[in-house]
Amino acid sequence: MAGRHACIVGGGMCKWGVREASYIDMVQEAAKECLGDIPGLKPTSIDGLLFASTFVGRRSAQANTAPVVAERLGLKPTSICARVDVLCAGGSTGILLAKGLVESAMSDVVMVVGCEKLYTPERWQVQYDEIAAIDHDWDGPQGIGPPPLWFAMIAKEHMKHYGTKREQLGLVSVINYDYGYDNPKGHFQRKLTMGDVLNATEVAAPLGLYDCCPLTDGSAAVIIASEEKARELSDRPLVYILGGAQASVHSVSANWPGEHLGDWPHLRLAAKKAYENAKISADKVDVAQVHDCFSISEIVEVEELGFCKKGEGGPFVESGQTKIGGTTPTNTDGGLLSCGHPFGATGVRQAIEILRQLQGRAVRQVNKAAIGLTHNLSGSNVEHTIVIYGREPRK
Amino acid sequence: MAATGIPFLEGRYSPTLDMWPIEAKEFNRIYEFYENLREGKFTTTKCKKCGRVAYPPRVICPECYSDELEWIELPKKGKVAVAVEKWAGVPICYEPPLIDAWIDLGEDSPVRHVLSRMVNCPPETLKEGDEVQLVVFDVPAHPIELRKETKMAERVFFAFEPVKK
Repeated sequence: MAGRHACIVGGGMCKWGVREASYIDMVQEAAKECLGDIPGLKPTSIDGLLFASTFVGRRSAQANTAPVVAERLGLKPTSICARVDVLCAGGSTGILLAKGLVESAMSDVVMVVGCEKLYTPERWQVQYDEIAAIDHDWDGPQGIGPPPLWFAMIAKEHMKHYGTKREQLGLVSVINYDYGYDNPKGHFQRKLTMGDVLNATEVAAPLGLYDCCPLTDGSAAVIIASEEKARELSDRPLVYILGGAQASVHSVSANWPGEHLGDWPHLRLAAKKAYENAKISADKVDVAQVHDCFSISEIVEVEELGFCKKGEGGPFVESGQTKIGGTTPTNTDGGLLSCGHPFGATGVRQAIEILRQLQGRAVRQVNKAAIGLTHNLSGSNVEHTIVIYGREPRK
Repeated sequence: MAATGIPFLEGRYSPTLDMWPIEAKEFNRIYEFYENLREGKFTTTKCKKCGRVAYPPRVICPECYSDELEWIELPKKGKVAVAVEKWAGVPICYEPPLIDAWIDLGEDSPVRHVLSRMVNCPPETLKEGDEVQLVVFDVPAHPIELRKETKMAERVFFAFEPVKK
């Protein structure tokens, strides 16, 4: 419907980490933080719920989770009440769907809440279950369920084809942990030295422990509403969802779309579509939250998202361009590396940081940030999801 | 097979926690892939209408949606494009190191690359350019309830191994 815009109004997250809490406990904590960010919004004024989670239903016995979440949160949705399962991109997918629901006038106020409870009573299942998150019957038995092997291959290929250096990977972790130090809700609040990264336990060479995001329990929630409702609910500057894209061109690794593993044409495709949809270009992005599930991921992503030339992600990070003051400050709340990665909640966490950046209230504030971008890859790098936010509505 | 904490599951099979596919013909229409594996053949489906080769095998052609497909053989040998080893955080179903390779099946193969676990491969030996070959092995059987009885469905799966020099 022309003229109707969707805005992100507020958001909040619970403490992320290895939590002594169930998924439904964490969802309640995140929803409380979210509504605490929007004084005056009552649960019963929320007409839609999208719950993003992949492993609730596998690491707990609950299936058909959305009505359970709605009831525990005191919501009585009348426009939508559904679960979204896109693994690492579930939260961002929920936000894109909420945008469509709001702009089509089907919904007015939608809560998007993501959550994963990854730690099970016996720890073996934490790694083993990931076999179910990739193309199970083909890639599952080949061992890339837990993704470090696959991303170690990507790192080796990127190093071979573009001359990317081990230290440039390490610097991604050092910078993102530095950002995360000031984020009390993230999994870690510690600083890393390059020595910490290079001397850490090897997971899959060239990746060490600090090149890999941790396994994390957590939940995050945001409110997406029509522009009219957003004005009623908040005195803060409006933040519009300008557009986005989600590209999925393969599932089994054998159908990898690139020339080699350091070449991600599916992300280029998603980026092109998202920029066209939002009517902006890569150079207009003031702050980005990209999917740093591994240090190498961020390096490839800043290239394919167009923040630098293909192959120059390593030098881009090394020259400080992802830091505040650089051309595209990236993962300013700590990213996946420091905050952790409860899959369905990650895109929601990224959205909260962009919201705060664009409203001028982030902890690590980017000066005059007006356009923000979030990106997720999901599964064994089979799908790319982008959401673009702005202080002004789409032209 | 005791299921700790859930006594009534003792001796029962739960597919949700199975790492291997359900291969039996009672439960899928591409079971020929596994039957071919048993004979040492690495196969997939090709569309008789448009000629498109798809991997993994399908019941329809993803290009033209024809369901007239035939089985073709893929190369059983290839060369390592990149290999990696994982020592920490290896799932319970494997012994560390877990070794994987991105394998180039050659310019003439309709499927250019496959990712595979490497077996019969000593740690820190596999490198780019090494020749590798398909290897088929038994994996655990599971029960299938028939009308009056329960039968065990035998299974196989594949990986790759270095070709001895």
